[in-house]
Amino acid sequence: MAFHKINITINGGLEQVVVPSNMTLMQMLRENLALTGTKNGCSAGECGACTVLLNGEPVNSCMVLAVECDGTNIVTVEGLAGDQQLDPVQEAIIQSGGVQCGFCTPGILISARALLDRNPDPAEEEIREALVGNLCRCTGYVRIIESVKAAAKV
Amino acid sequence: MILDTHPALPEFEYIRPANLAEASDFLAQHPDTARPFLGGTDVFVRMRDGFMKPEFLVDVKNLDGTNELRFDSRTGLTVGAAVNMNRVIASPDVQAHYPLLAEACRSVASYQLRTRATIVGNLCNASPAGDTIGACLVFGGVLHLHGVSGPRQEPLSGFFRGPGKTTLKPGDIVTAIHFPIPPNGCVGKYIKLGRNQLSDLSIVGVTALGHKDSTCSSGYRFRLALASVAPVPLMPAEVETYLANNPLTPDAINEAARLASQACSPIDDVRGGARYRRQMVRNLSVKALTEVWKKLD
Amino acid sequence: MAEPKVENSTSPVGESKIRIDAREKVTGAAIYADDIQFGNSLLHARIKRSPHPHALIKKINSEKALALPGVKAIVTGQDFPGYIGLYLKDRFFFCRDRVRYVGDPVAGVVAVSEEIAEKALGLIEVEYEILEPVLDPEYGARPEAPLLHPDLGKYAVASFIFPQPGTNISNHFKIRKGDVNGAWEKCTAIVEHKYRIPHIQHVPIEPHIAIAKVDEAGEITLWGSSQSPFAQRNLIAQSLGISPGKMRVIAPYVGGGFGCKAGVSMESLAVAIAMKVKGRPVKLLLTREEEFFTAFVRQGLTAYFKMGCDENGRLLAMENTFYWDGGAYTEYGVNITRAAGYSSSGPYEVPNVKTDSYCVYTNHPVGGAMRGFGMPEIHAGLEQCIDELALRIGMDAVEFRKLNCLKTGSTLVTGSRMHATGLSQCIEKTAEAIGWGKKAPPSAPNKRRGKGMALMWKAPAMPPNAGSSAWVELAEDGTLNVGVGGQEIGQGVFTVAAQMAAAALGVAYESVRIAAPIDTRYSPYEWQTVASRLTWSMGNAIVNAAKDARKQILDIVAEAWDETPDDLNIVNGVVISYKSEKEIPLKNLVIYGLPKPGDQGWRGGPIIGRGSFMPTYVTGLDAETGQGERAVVHYTTGAQAVELEVDLDTGRIEIIKGVSTFDIGKAINPELVEAQMEGGFVQGMSSALFESLQLKDGVLRNPSFVDYRIATSSDIPKDLQSYIVEVPQDDGPWGARGIGEHSMVPTIPAIANAIYDAVGVRLEGPPFTAEKVYLAMLDAGIVK
Repeated sequence: MAFHKINITINGGLEQVVVPSNMTLMQMLRENLALTGTKNGCSAGECGACTVLLNGEPVNSCMVLAVECDGTNIVTVEGLAGDQQLDPVQEAIIQSGGVQCGFCTPGILISARALLDRNPDPAEEEIREALVGNLCRCTGYVRIIESVKAAAKV
Repeated sequence: MILDTHPALPEFEYIRPANLAEASDFLAQHPDTARPFLGGTDVFVRMRDGFMKPEFLVDVKNLDGTNELRFDSRTGLTVGAAVNMNRVIASPDVQAHYPLLAEACRSVASYQLRTRATIVGNLCNASPAGDTIGACLVFGGVLHLHGVSGPRQEPLSGFFRGPGKTTLKPGDIVTAIHFPIPPNGCVGKYIKLGRNQLSDLSIVGVTALGHKDSTCSSGYRFRLALASVAPVPLMPAEVETYLANNPLTPDAINEAARLASQACSPIDDVRGGARYRRQMVRNLSVKALTEVWKKLD
Repeated sequence: MAEPKVENSTSPVGESKIRIDAREKVTGAAIYADDIQFGNSLLHARIKRSPHPHALIKKINSEKALALPGVKAIVTGQDFPGYIGLYLKDRFFFCRDRVRYVGDPVAGVVAVSEEIAEKALGLIEVEYEILEPVLDPEYGARPEAPLLHPDLGKYAVASFIFPQPGTNISNHFKIRKGDVNGAWEKCTAIVEHKYRIPHIQHVPIEPHIAIAKVDEAGEITLWGSSQSPFAQRNLIAQSLGISPGKMRVIAPYVGGGFGCKAGVSMESLAVAIAMKVKGRPVKLLLTREEEFFTAFVRQGLTAYFKMGCDENGRLLAMENTFYWDGGAYTEYGVNITRAAGYSSSGPYEVPNVKTDSYCVYTNHPVGGAMRGFGMPEIHAGLEQCIDELALRIGMDAVEFRKLNCLKTGSTLVTGSRMHATGLSQCIEKTAEAIGWGKKAPPSAPNKRRGKGMALMWKAPAMPPNAGSSAWVELAEDGTLNVGVGGQEIGQGVFTVAAQMAAAALGVAYESVRIAAPIDTRYSPYEWQTVASRLTWSMGNAIVNAAKDARKQILDIVAEAWDETPDDLNIVNGVVISYKSEKEIPLKNLVIYGLPKPGDQGWRGGPIIGRGSFMPTYVTGLDAETGQGERAVVHYTTGAQAVELEVDLDTGRIEIIKGVSTFDIGKAINPELVEAQMEGGFVQGMSSALFESLQLKDGVLRNPSFVDYRIATSSDIPKDLQSYIVEVPQDDGPWGARGIGEHSMVPTIPAIANAIYDAVGVRLEGPPFTAEKVYLAMLDAGIVK
């Protein structure tokens, strides 16, 4: 199986990585770059725990080949916060009590950030729809939805 | 068998051809071992499950014109193979002229999956449950293909041969789907019955498109497409004929829905049983047709 | 009540403090087991599993697999003869002579990559002799059923579990209270029903993972996503025939547990494999698909209920028979059977009760603990029968419940007395919030609207002597480090632990750290993070540890100031005297002590407080009657109600509103309590509407998120309300009882009762899918 050398911007920094054909973006982030904030929940594009931004749009990183990401710009949960300041979606989910076990949280935050980027003032229905690909088993979603509403007001 | 699922993607070679001709040639030379892929949302899952074991995945995104989403007021809409569903949903042209297509796309999985999922991928996957297939059928979609002998076009209506089976031949790549200008004043509706409110595959999907048409005796023409109730996506002609030839009344719609229910051949699977599916085809056809009719008047 | 005497105006107990773990969880910094980096020495394991529900292993040939480059070792059952199990030692690490479910581990491969290990699985040849499977617990309990565990009589078993050797019944729990047969003729109304509750899966978003390493001296380290690091240390070591002290378990944050990461499951496989490649860490990560069919499942249940009341609606008798589909091994499930038995009356006072609760071996996935531990399953049918009985006697269902529900001092089904309880208040609050008795019109002509309520009770199900321990120590800056062995699985226990430690010692919540990850070598003992027992049990240990430290501190200061400790207090990290009005910050004395005047030496030294807690009053139950003085530590009680709509065109249910009220004694952190109620409601709702493991001939047909649907953000009610009732627990910290599991116990029957209210149909069991509801309406002539 062939290996490919790719150049990729991750959380603002340029990386060069050598990846085999069958490596997913999720595996590359977690295994090659130790960016373990991106979680592996199903490897099938169903749970959303591995959601990252690819050129500004959310994707299930388990459903993207690393080799396809040559020349792209990736943002993971580790890249959401600024130097000293959390992203408003991070701050809001803390304040709203939308974190429990925390395993779905990185993917939720990425989906929420992407939603607010394309729609700064979403209605509740739009928030629910935007999060439908992020399964959470702990919270019942109530406080997560509240947190996105709160972050939109920031 | 559930024991065959791989922890990650099994080995394969990633191929990125320089152009369509190269892609077609490669695929034709490796008819049993190479597969084209777009977003990968189905291929990757089936490879992990062990259902597909390609040696080569040929990335046909970024090839000549596959990224194009273009509307022409004379000829209609062209959706390139690599255009993801979120782009279709957000397109002002689609919203203005083919809102049903956006509605169908929006019912697929989740936002982040739709960043990768494409309409052409949905068509080529040829699942009877494919959410966008109904809209593509009722809009009279035409496939733009590229094969070893160059480009050609095929109507979508004859494309499906069975679950996962299409008329595509080795070397064929679907580069786009084209839709003619829809009938003036047409109204569409997609009703998807899933287990969850959103994001699920359909137990039954009903797509209806209607417009006023003075050339038929009822004054209306309807098309109805059904998902998840036959080996292929279904567009029962008898429904169209009946509603064109009989005065449009609630009873006529009930009768058309009964015909639709009769036309399908559902099975029992993990998502739902045949008896229920048949009932739902009837009920949801009534609902979809009635809603379209009300909006037309 | 174990409330420390702290007059501390800044006490964080009762306040909704921000979670202590929130920040690291939102930045991606929080470490879960799969995030730990092991470098190049890491090896990967995969498991060869049985494709048959029931078969004998005739031969295993792993030569070809071993020859594959990159394969380091292959392990089979022949290598590990020891039995393992929590309450009943009935399984091996790897199958030795017989496989008992589809997925049963037959061999383990370890290789330099997961991919090579996976390839090697295909090269292992296993020859089976296929046997007739048992696929139904009622059939399995009969004498003619094939015997799945011929050695049942030889298995080691806890004293309160009663296997029936020579049958597939691994536990038979009985209640014989009063005279049921004599009571039926006194009943004005009797209802009888059969319910089937399907197997469901826990579905934590983090799949099971374990990394094991065995060093040259045979010392074992296990890293895992675990609710039970201490139980794993003990059970795995026992099974391997080594001293538990040689085993160390390190357990970082758990990405959801719900019971499936309690006890020992796949962790033992990783350890067994690591023993073959000493010095190398071995990682075993379940795929999501394996998570569905090989991790502990919630057992299936076939339940028969019969209950009757007099003309005033007073419950007179119940006769319940439960057949638990325990699966291939019931090492943990046997105690669910017991808990269901001693809770089989539901939260009602019933003078005559006869219960038979059978745990039955089948060739289905292995049953284990799941949130609720048998209670959601039995309440599902029981609370529907209560509604029907009320209807028969012509009473309002809420009035019927108020009349019959447990009150303080009621006689329980086990013969003991109910402790102080606020169940009646829970019913009233819930009825008020849901608008009981008021019928709102449906939102559309093709919809029907209904309301339903259900009650619940649940005790922590555990051995009588399950213990907790804790320590506290202070750093040079006066911040508090709290050692616990209870695990943060999302419920918020680290936050609550910090709040209790801060309050009991007298420091600010913000100055507390929890010593994590849990590491059996450094963390104090905790039985398991299960049974919703930590706030209560571990909380008591923390309070004791803080009191211990507090006493040490006050003694030193009192001596230095020539005062008595009674005149001193610690407030916000400062020791103050109410007598002399002197004060000294903790940081000035907790490490180096205090100097005696005139350079005459020092007092004190590093402060470390220790505390433990174990209930010592739990007594046994009579094996024939199930009667005893005090079988459990306490019961948390509560009520839920829902309002829903049924779509007549599709049968689809939409939950419009949910209300939960639980008596939890004392909310240490009210928002965390509400969060448990919300999450539990939605998990209960999900199990009611969507979830079942579709097993056909022992094979799971829906082992993925594609076809095992759980509730998403689009499915939850727009209006979800949670209320807290606080009738204190006499031995809980500040009066607290547990809430984690309880919140999903009454949801299924509340929804079932609301469906009946809306359209008048009842189903044999969940999930109440659109299809089942529609076809039931069709068969009943409600729709055409």
